[in-house]
Amino acid sequence: MTPKGGWVGKILRVDLTTSKITESSTFDYVPRFLGGRGLGAKICWDEVPPEVSAFDPENRLVFATGPLQGTLAPSSGRFMVLGKAPQSGPTESFCRSGVGGHFAPELKWAGYDALVVRGKADKPVYLFISDHKAEILDAAALWGLDTYQAQQVLWKLHGPKTRVMVIGRAGENRSRIACILTDTGDASGQGGFGGVMGSKNLKAIAVRGTGAVTVARPKALMQTTRHIHSLFARKPAKSNPYEPEVKGFKYNIWGGGYGRGGLSLLPGELQDLCNDSSSGYSQTPDGCFACPVSCRSRVKGPDITGGVAFCAQSYMYLESMIDQPEKGYSKITWQAAKLGDLLGINAYDLMAIIPWLADCFHEKLISEKDTGLSLGEIGSWNFISKLLNQIADRQGFGDLLAEGGQRAAAKLGGKAEKLSWMYYPRAGQFGGYREHWVYLGGFPTGYALPPLALMWVLDNRDALVSHSFISMLWGAAFTVGQNALTAVPEKISPVLRPVMKAAYGSEEAAEFLQPDGKSLNWKWAAPIVKRYHEHSLLKDSYVLCDILFPYLFNANSPNHVGDDTLESRLYSDVTGVEMSPKESFQKGEMLCTLERALAVRDGRTRQDDSFHDLYFEKQDAGGRKYKREDLEESKTEYYKLMGWDSETGKPTLATLQRLGLKDVAEEMARRGFSRS
Amino acid sequence: MAKEVDRRTMLKSLTISALGLGSVVAFGDLIQVFALPDGQKVALARAVILADMSRCSGCRICEMVCANLNSMGRNSTSLARVFIDKDYLKGDYQPKLCYQCADPPCLNGCPVDALQVDKKSGTYARVVNEKICIGCQSCVEACQSYFTPSRATFDAERQKAIKCHLCFGDPQCVKLCPLGVLRVERSKKGLLVGYPAISGD
Repeated sequence: MTPKGGWVGKILRVDLTTSKITESSTFDYVPRFLGGRGLGAKICWDEVPPEVSAFDPENRLVFATGPLQGTLAPSSGRFMVLGKAPQSGPTESFCRSGVGGHFAPELKWAGYDALVVRGKADKPVYLFISDHKAEILDAAALWGLDTYQAQQVLWKLHGPKTRVMVIGRAGENRSRIACILTDTGDASGQGGFGGVMGSKNLKAIAVRGTGAVTVARPKALMQTTRHIHSLFARKPAKSNPYEPEVKGFKYNIWGGGYGRGGLSLLPGELQDLCNDSSSGYSQTPDGCFACPVSCRSRVKGPDITGGVAFCAQSYMYLESMIDQPEKGYSKITWQAAKLGDLLGINAYDLMAIIPWLADCFHEKLISEKDTGLSLGEIGSWNFISKLLNQIADRQGFGDLLAEGGQRAAAKLGGKAEKLSWMYYPRAGQFGGYREHWVYLGGFPTGYALPPLALMWVLDNRDALVSHSFISMLWGAAFTVGQNALTAVPEKISPVLRPVMKAAYGSEEAAEFLQPDGKSLNWKWAAPIVKRYHEHSLLKDSYVLCDILFPYLFNANSPNHVGDDTLESRLYSDVTGVEMSPKESFQKGEMLCTLERALAVRDGRTRQDDSFHDLYFEKQDAGGRKYKREDLEESKTEYYKLMGWDSETGKPTLATLQRLGLKDVAEEMARRGFSRS
Repeated sequence: MAKEVDRRTMLKSLTISALGLGSVVAFGDLIQVFALPDGQKVALARAVILADMSRCSGCRICEMVCANLNSMGRNSTSLARVFIDKDYLKGDYQPKLCYQCADPPCLNGCPVDALQVDKKSGTYARVVNEKICIGCQSCVEACQSYFTPSRATFDAERQKAIKCHLCFGDPQCVKLCPLGVLRVERSKKGLLVGYPAISGD
């Protein structure tokens, strides 16, 4: 029976080689694969075999929304971009990247749950989608424009309500770290899918929809929405939009310690200007579609590029703060990040490339002359503007860096490559991503935590999609009067006990250390990471935002226990399809196994689930180490819990069949990957 | 009791309204009804939604709450009775709401009296009686000759006009707006807002 709400029923398929545009039914895939990440995984399993490389015209660029997009469901502005990713490396593999903002609901209202692009146009084109119709249009006039300029042209042509996903020059030139941007700062960064768009000669996807998404139980959705609003946000105080009207209430993101988003974390020139009402600069909380939190700010001023600011995207060039400490977060810091957005380069990889270049320069492995970069003045506008333009145009040394930091380092080899391991922790064939451990200062400057290590080795991109997991740790730190940088695991465990019992089934899961405090407790790593993956797959398939979901930690209640059933309640309200917690986790497990099958088919082995030696050699701030044998044991346990082969980490045929993935099982057997 | 608005009062309200929507005029016990030169009379609205656009986050929750609740689960900004106009590059977001005009063009333009004053809820909002509406869109045209976008719009699927009815006294967009942009201004005496005091956005 077709569900009563949620999905709009059609997938739009565009072949840029033949200019053929067709539609297929979403219900060929859902409710089984839900949407977003699950739907994209299945499409890629069916259509993107390992033989297809990222820039091969046969690669698919999948834009997948889920059942919740285009509805009132809180944080449902997101969707997933999927396909064979050029950034994952050295092996290109199936990967995913989430995007916020306002594009996803527009695609649904235009009548499509997803868009699948294949082929390659013989000249630059863009796609215009409106109310059950799509056209491939000439983009000669758009090619070479920055991401803002291109959107302005498209708004002029198709109206300001049109939402656009667009690449900059980095994407046009097939950089492996090119993003796809929408509006002023929301982007699909991970995976380098901007380069895939460029390889297809596809400059932009513009969409405008006036249809509607049917919600099966509108009153229930109102109720759940109000409940979620009340958990995460309050109306702001009259005097300050960043402070809650209700004194003492904590905005329930980042563990409740940082309030609504903005430049508030990094004081300096720009924030001072924004606080001075006569300056002409300002910052205001800015919301993604249907989100009550507003974890971003939009910043404007007379001589800066305006737009939204969020985390890495605005914190990309912190070197400028060291260069000009008296200015702190300055206009240069901001403009550098915005130049990255205009050229369409993923800020997160730049946050590895820049310090790595500094290390290499320091060790005299590269010179200003060889690179054409003013490496002696990292932190300056001169350095960053040259660097970003070089990368976007693949000019000189920039041609190498456009391949991403990890590939560039591997090409240079020797010591330069070794230096890069500080920033790119994952060893093997499925690395390519900058470390993003955040917890208590990261590792090794901060503290080692077994579940984080296991999450990282198992992924092929930034594993911390679940910001809410980190928020839980931070929240516990704030509760005991410490913060993200100062908290120590011993102190936060007591706070986490009831929280982790609710989320992971045992109070003991909060004990990250052995009782003597001298070594790490790996006992709970595997079960925690299994549930973490199930949560993540659900959240990315419904599709909801990882700043809010899963809701693990309540900063405003005495025991801080969260509620990981909220996502599934929204799903049931919208679609009318029941989803018990147990069923939802089984669904998450199935989707996680499907992704593992994709990875294995792309060549992943147990050896790829690992770190560079550095991560076993260094001690953390508490004098403890990750031990290789502990990690290996934990991997084995995780594979077992997932029903994968405990030696190889490959899903077994029996497990694939048990999960209803018969066609996957058959192909795995045919390719000789899985034993029964 | 009905009384005609004299020229001085009109001028005063025009001056005040020039300051923006924040300056709504609630009159003393004189006026509860706005009378037109031709003698037709419409009771003034007793509630209106006002917006402080400086803090709008552009999340569009107001539009979605409206559509979800008032269009029976059909979720879309196209079915909302509130409107967020956004210039993303300039960072300029403008919530636009129905003024519940003193002399409502929509009501005056309706050929079948489908537009009525909601006395039952006490808001005196200008509302569409769906049983009477013939879907001719005269109200949409009438409104858009003064306001952009027209605050009355058209539900093509049901072939009926739709417009803000203040959720019969308890506007849900106001309740769910996470930034406190929206508020309800109420006056038992009636509010002289919208056209003709304000005629244009």
